[in-house]
Amino acid sequence: MITVCRHELKLGFKALLIWSLSVGIMGLLCILMYTSMEGEMADMAESFSKLGAFSDAFGMSTLSIATLGGFFATEVGTVHGLGSAMFAAITAAVILSKEEDGHTGEFLYSLPISRGSAVTGKALSVLINLVAFTVICGVFYVIGFVALGEDVLWKEMLLFLVRMLLMNIEIASVTLVISAASTKNRLGAGLGLALIFYAYDLIGRVVPDLKDYLFIGPFSLANASEIFSGQKAPVEALIVAAIVIVVAVTATYRVYLKKDLAS
Amino acid sequence: MADVIKIENLTKSYGKKRGVSDISLTVGGGEIFGFIGPNGAGKSTTIRSMLGFLNFEKGSITILGKDSVKEHVGVLKEVGYMPSEALFYPTMKVSEVIKFAADARELDCREEAEMLCERLQLDTGKRIKELSLGNRKKVSIVCAMQHKPKLFVFDEPSSGLDPLMQSTFFELIKEYVKKGATCFLSTHVLSEVSRYCDRAAIMREGKLIKVDLVDNLTESTVKSVKVTADGVHEEYMYNGDINELVKKLSERKLENLYIEEPSLEDMFMHFYEGKEEVR
Repeated sequence: MITVCRHELKLGFKALLIWSLSVGIMGLLCILMYTSMEGEMADMAESFSKLGAFSDAFGMSTLSIATLGGFFATEVGTVHGLGSAMFAAITAAVILSKEEDGHTGEFLYSLPISRGSAVTGKALSVLINLVAFTVICGVFYVIGFVALGEDVLWKEMLLFLVRMLLMNIEIASVTLVISAASTKNRLGAGLGLALIFYAYDLIGRVVPDLKDYLFIGPFSLANASEIFSGQKAPVEALIVAAIVIVVAVTATYRVYLKKDLAS
Repeated sequence: MADVIKIENLTKSYGKKRGVSDISLTVGGGEIFGFIGPNGAGKSTTIRSMLGFLNFEKGSITILGKDSVKEHVGVLKEVGYMPSEALFYPTMKVSEVIKFAADARELDCREEAEMLCERLQLDTGKRIKELSLGNRKKVSIVCAMQHKPKLFVFDEPSSGLDPLMQSTFFELIKEYVKKGATCFLSTHVLSEVSRYCDRAAIMREGKLIKVDLVDNLTESTVKSVKVTADGVHEEYMYNGDINELVKKLSERKLENLYIEEPSLEDMFMHFYEGKEEVR
């Protein structure tokens, strides 16, 4: 299991660096842009907060983008949420199916490694990648705050990163099942699913009738505006996430252990 | 010697598609066992069932006294498998692939791997994506042999290897077998079977149609007859009283006649084409 995990981490290291540096640097640049826009922000914040449902959707009705915390939550919250969700979705979507798609399964599974421990090793590598992604991006965001000479909002920042990580784990667990059931790389399906989850959350915040059902989608776990405005954690969303993760991981083992491996 | 492979009534289908049906065979310790048949005959299905890639619906497979399903990992520890395709992770170096295979077995195989790489003239510094089919086959050979397994399972091993490397490969097999290993060799190349194997099994359309010593497969009372008579050329297998054959042929106007021992190729084609009857 450890050998498989280490092997996967090695193979996925470049992708981790590319994704985490891209999202982290984009987030850092957003933060650094704050000072240049600070003067105009007060007027913009006033206008943005009066856009009704759209202000709600992007969290600008609860937070002022004129403050660094508010600016971070609305701008970096979106960049990190979407970027990390896509990374989580595609990393897990290919982790099992790539062996059959690339015809490497016959090599891997002829080694004395049970399929169960291979799944564990691979899933563990996805989890480590998600944690590393979150830490790397987090470092960039902290650098941004420090560079501007602002106090780091440690509590909100940590809560934001932990809840984003949880959201990514939920998304990854769903695409892991797709990977287990498929013999082809489902990178497109993974990306599509991440975007659907994002769109669901966005639409849910704009359409009043859908607000009560927002907790079903993973993005409701980590709404940066809610976190930075000090709102309580969405308990229903946390329960749904826990159920989805447990069911999806169990299904992954069941599907992958029973399937015939394609040559 | 005790059976190293024991397959009993193996049945595996792919939905409505045929896989293999009711396969039973045994392979003894120290044997080089040939497994021959045309494409789609069920050779790979049998091998993939043995190694746990496929879940079969009926029958049992015992390898080195262990149930291939219940003691799957234990079986794989003792097996060196070389798949027909020899595909690895393209960005990895050859040395990394070889080390990964050894690490997965929790063994230090450096000495054996070094010897194998030297004999096979394999450059371990190259990346997999830079390798030709033949060189990928060499990596596969090293991964299958470096842990000195008790059983080798090879699926079309020599395709892609040049004649010199083919010769080195079979020399290596003979050396390991001499030290007590057993070899299960699935191949299309009948000359390899007749040259290196003790026994062979012939598969056709998902069924095992013949298992015998290679010598017996070729040394039978069946004769290969090639005759040109009355302006017509005929080739067939004849099993019966040779005097009767000569008597029948003497009644025709012969232009050319060969009566010879059938080669393994002839026997294979005879079984492959489903000629249960011989003249």
